[in-house]
Amino acid sequence: MKKQSLSKILLISSLGVLTACSGSGSSGSEETKDAKELYGCSVINVYNAGEYIGDGVLNDFEKMYNAKVNYETFDSNETMYTKLLGGSAYDVLVPSDYSIERLIDEGMLQELDKDALTNLDQLDPVSVEMQKAYDPDLAYAVPYFRGSVGLVYNKNNVDPAVIEAKGWDILQDETYKGRVFMYDSQRDAFMVAFKALGYSMNTDDPEAIEAAYQWLIAMDKAVEPAYVTDEVIDAMMTGEKDIALMYSGDAAYVIAENEDMAYLEPYQGTNIWEDAMVIPANAGCPGLANAFINYITDYDASYANSLDIGYTAVNKQVFDEMSTDEELYGGISAYIPRDGYDKDEIFHFNEVLRQELSDRWNKVKIGE
Amino acid sequence: MKSFSKMVYPYIVWAFVMIVLPMVMIVLYAFTVKGNSVLTFQFTLDNFARFFRDTIFPTVLWRSLKMAFITTGLCILIGYPTAYIFAKMKPNNQAIMILLVTLPMWINVLVRTYAWRGLLGYVDLSTEMRVYVGMIYNFMPFMILEIYTSLSKIDPNLIVASHDLGANDAETFRRVILPLSLPGVVSGITLVFLPAVSSFFIPKFLGGGQYVLIGNLIEDYFITSGDWNFGSAISLIMAIIILISMYVMRKLDHENKEVLD
Repeated sequence: MKKQSLSKILLISSLGVLTACSGSGSSGSEETKDAKELYGCSVINVYNAGEYIGDGVLNDFEKMYNAKVNYETFDSNETMYTKLLGGSAYDVLVPSDYSIERLIDEGMLQELDKDALTNLDQLDPVSVEMQKAYDPDLAYAVPYFRGSVGLVYNKNNVDPAVIEAKGWDILQDETYKGRVFMYDSQRDAFMVAFKALGYSMNTDDPEAIEAAYQWLIAMDKAVEPAYVTDEVIDAMMTGEKDIALMYSGDAAYVIAENEDMAYLEPYQGTNIWEDAMVIPANAGCPGLANAFINYITDYDASYANSLDIGYTAVNKQVFDEMSTDEELYGGISAYIPRDGYDKDEIFHFNEVLRQELSDRWNKVKIGE
Repeated sequence: MKSFSKMVYPYIVWAFVMIVLPMVMIVLYAFTVKGNSVLTFQFTLDNFARFFRDTIFPTVLWRSLKMAFITTGLCILIGYPTAYIFAKMKPNNQAIMILLVTLPMWINVLVRTYAWRGLLGYVDLSTEMRVYVGMIYNFMPFMILEIYTSLSKIDPNLIVASHDLGANDAETFRRVILPLSLPGVVSGITLVFLPAVSSFFIPKFLGGGQYVLIGNLIEDYFITSGDWNFGSAISLIMAIIILISMYVMRKLDHENKEVLD
């Protein structure tokens, strides 16, 4: 879902080497543990979103625990869910909030071992508060990254005052015909329409759905957007178009590379989200999986992850450093997702809504 | 002989697991409602009704067929003369030309399509034209190779005989070479039309997400929407249309052969 571009990996790998060096200094002082001895197994299967982990993070864990991590990636929560239904066994998953909600509902997760998770006190209280929306008892998940959805725009070609005043409605302004990237995801697109019209993004009221559908058709006609997924990151970095719907973490990365770009969370409200680590009920090595989750939550791994990927750290200390240091993501508003705005919402899984939207979203894209 | 016939068994198992079983699954999904457990099926025709209820899905189907037709037509128009020129060359040069045609196919098609996206970024073309460029580029080698193979198999004595009997070059081409090369054109059409009609990554990468074809729809319903039943129904409708066009092609091919005999 939040995959990064090749150029980003190349660019950032130099930074990654630096982190790996500094990281090994501190982790080297720690004693090497033996997973086999501690948990009776030494291999875990981790299933994460594509390009969503920092350099050296897995290697360090493998060395620390004398273990092996089989790392696989998915491109959307829906792909991940399909794979799980197919019977694939994983020890750690990193889905989004609404997807975790669904997995908990369907009894596909196991509770985490709180005794093993010694680093939970490092979590940002903001992230833990968000977690309550999809994991009310804080029993199944540990936050990984958080963020928002917003508009990235080129300050030279789009007047900041105009886009701030219009918010999502700028996507219906013919002035920007052919200059807009729309993220090809029915969830995000309908969120924009619902918010622009003043509805909740979690509504399944037929009237609201129809109104949002008409809003998107009008948008398609007015600006004729290109419907894209991860290629939007590269394209916005080179300034191919002027406005793009993006996730805050990708936006932070784009802005760090291209100073002409800015990020806006429209006044009509947006989707704030959190991705978190969970352990499936059928995990083969839950002991080591808990140790892995605890390791990722710790300062070193969290730092490497956030630096390399650009998404907002859920480790409080890392977040504070990243968001204030000008050399890191300081001064880039997209790194600090809006918090506490009453029109922002977390998405909740709704099968009825999903089915209602899929045909309509395809029709919007097909045009006519 | 008897012992040899036993060697067929692994293939039968293979064909069942790899060809029959997936097809059965698709048919089953297409005719059932969502959320079936393994044992209780609830049959329905609603997935098909949903496809034809709205003009939008048939429109996409028509758009895909049209695109495949035009792609195939242009591949013949460009590919036939190319193959003809190759077949007239010295044997050594023929080998080099064929190597050059197949060379790009050594590289993964996704990588090549990405490369085209970069190249086409410098040209001002409509999204539709971009998709056509990608499609024709990608499928042309199949057409050239098929036509070239049937052209190079023509016995040169037939052409000499044709001239001896008083036919000029144009007549020889029309009455000897063209009919003898048609089987190559027909198999070329099969190799180009079938993948072209269901191609989804070329329109996706080169169409800038503004050009939805039937392959994109199927992909979307399977992966993003998770609606395998509707996705299967669309696939099945596609499969039936392809089956019919295969049948028509074969029929034409047979008639052609009868004329020759």
